[in-house]
Amino acid sequence: MLYRVMDKRELPALVRAFMESYEVVAPVKRGSGYVFDVIGSPDEIELDYTQTDASPKKYLMPSTETLMRFDAQMNLVDDFTEQVTPRVVFGVHTCDINAMNRLDIALIEGKYVDPYYQARRDATMIIGISCVPGDNCFCHLWGADEAQFGYDLFLHDIGDKYLVSMSNVEATNILEAACEISEATDEDRIAFRQATRARQAAFNKDIPDVQDVAMLMDVFHSDPFWEELGSRCLSCSACASVCPTCFCFDIRDVLAPDGKTGERVRTWDACTSPGFAAVTGGYNFRPTGRERVRHRMYHKLNGFFVNHDRMLCVGCGRCVKACKTGINPIEVLRFFKRKGADHAK
Amino acid sequence: MGAFSLITDAERRVPRVVVVGLASCFGCQIQITNAEPYLMQILGQIDLQYWQLVTSEDMPDEFDVAIIEGAVTTREAEQTVRAVRERAAHVMAIGACATTAGVTGMAAPGLGGRVGEVYEGAAPESSGELIEPRPVSAVIEVDSEVLCCPIDPMDFVAALQRVLFGSNRLPDTRTLCSDCKRNETECFYNDATLCLGLVTRAGCGARCVNLGRPCNGCAGLSPDANVEAARMACATYGVDVAAFDKALEMFNQVNPALAESGDE
Repeated sequence: MLYRVMDKRELPALVRAFMESYEVVAPVKRGSGYVFDVIGSPDEIELDYTQTDASPKKYLMPSTETLMRFDAQMNLVDDFTEQVTPRVVFGVHTCDINAMNRLDIALIEGKYVDPYYQARRDATMIIGISCVPGDNCFCHLWGADEAQFGYDLFLHDIGDKYLVSMSNVEATNILEAACEISEATDEDRIAFRQATRARQAAFNKDIPDVQDVAMLMDVFHSDPFWEELGSRCLSCSACASVCPTCFCFDIRDVLAPDGKTGERVRTWDACTSPGFAAVTGGYNFRPTGRERVRHRMYHKLNGFFVNHDRMLCVGCGRCVKACKTGINPIEVLRFFKRKGADHAK
Repeated sequence: MGAFSLITDAERRVPRVVVVGLASCFGCQIQITNAEPYLMQILGQIDLQYWQLVTSEDMPDEFDVAIIEGAVTTREAEQTVRAVRERAAHVMAIGACATTAGVTGMAAPGLGGRVGEVYEGAAPESSGELIEPRPVSAVIEVDSEVLCCPIDPMDFVAALQRVLFGSNRLPDTRTLCSDCKRNETECFYNDATLCLGLVTRAGCGARCVNLGRPCNGCAGLSPDANVEAARMACATYGVDVAAFDKALEMFNQVNPALAESGDE
């Protein structure tokens, strides 16, 4: 990995350079929170954001997208290619970069490639930025506080400068053309180490660090805890909408008003939706909040880990804010901690 | 919503459609006309035999699809929908009044006393024999529904097409909040403001919230609504639980699920 140093005052020049050939999206202020949105000027970017309410996965997998068009009368599929906008997502935290890497595992690296996701992923540049964790952040518990790959540039904040990790030639060329960059000095390396330590020290210590979480999920599979947690579920799937790694979807055929042509549309769906596990014959194999919430946590904290050696949860903390009844992985960790304390008695 | 098509290869016939209006503001029938750019296309797919809003004629005796707007508030209306059910292969209820009893449902508790508040003595004969307002589905089996007050014209078009061409899509019972997350609008609860999205059926795309207003629940309580948990959320976020319950009455007064969950 190549590292260079750039002066923070050059950031607008870098953003403008990207804007010349890409649509640039970045964290901007909206209401009392932050969202990733298209910017018209580098001034709109709020790089000090703790967390956006929703994740940037929408740029790789929009909440609604057309997969194909068809002629219902002729029973024919029309030629259809979705126009993918070449885009730079600027100012992405490590949790979201790790989340995209996990989406890659599910949607690109498996047996069946999702061409729609892949087209967007290929056309999207990711510019990461280091962050200071907020109260709901627990990425460090899943090793997602560091992005080893999955970005094109990563800007480590080291005071007046950024230590820039460069992993893509095109992004590096744009950086070099737009900014004065220099070799890192010992002073920069010390500043980098200090910033890393400060970040590590800033995590909310009330969030328990529990070992063997995937194992504990199996051990306490039938614990009454899941009834207690699941009984609070509002069945809204807000958690899945804000989650950077939820990728489940539904596919619907939508007719045009003339009833002659239509589109096959993919929309986000979630295992927390009551009808998600309903099958032919009317049977629903996850009929209540208990089963649905437990299933969601299982996929995040057990199933994906067992298959891919990493949690599907990246600890971004968005569901902690989104769920109005307090259902989130932190509650699961607290439950395991309580169980551990009970058993130690 | 049955997975059937009225148009089969064996018996290809343009479905005969009637539009019936019960107790309502007739706004949902008006909304159908607001699908203006597509009206001629839609009419080209059906044989519209009767539309209460635009005719003084009587409803024909034979038809395939009955679209009902409005709540059942009289014995006569009850008989009307029963007669419709006997004739129609498919009954579609449109709008909050037909699907939840809507605003008219607010009159249900203590109906007898309310009549006296409006009329001197008994209600006039022309009002019919008043009964507690109820959704169409409380009287007859309904095959499909278009939710909200008023309905969205294009929701109606899509629902009609599912009747005409068939669909195996299950109705979504998810509640609204995930739509706000998709829209990335700010949650009213973060500001201790009451919003009924916690328990209201999704499908509208959270259009009121997109316009800066909290959800008032016109799509009705989701069959999977967790009212108890929503009350807990209100308490957590500093929203008056009694105000939440009161607000729910506007579109859910006669919903049996609310009575079961312990009306205070």
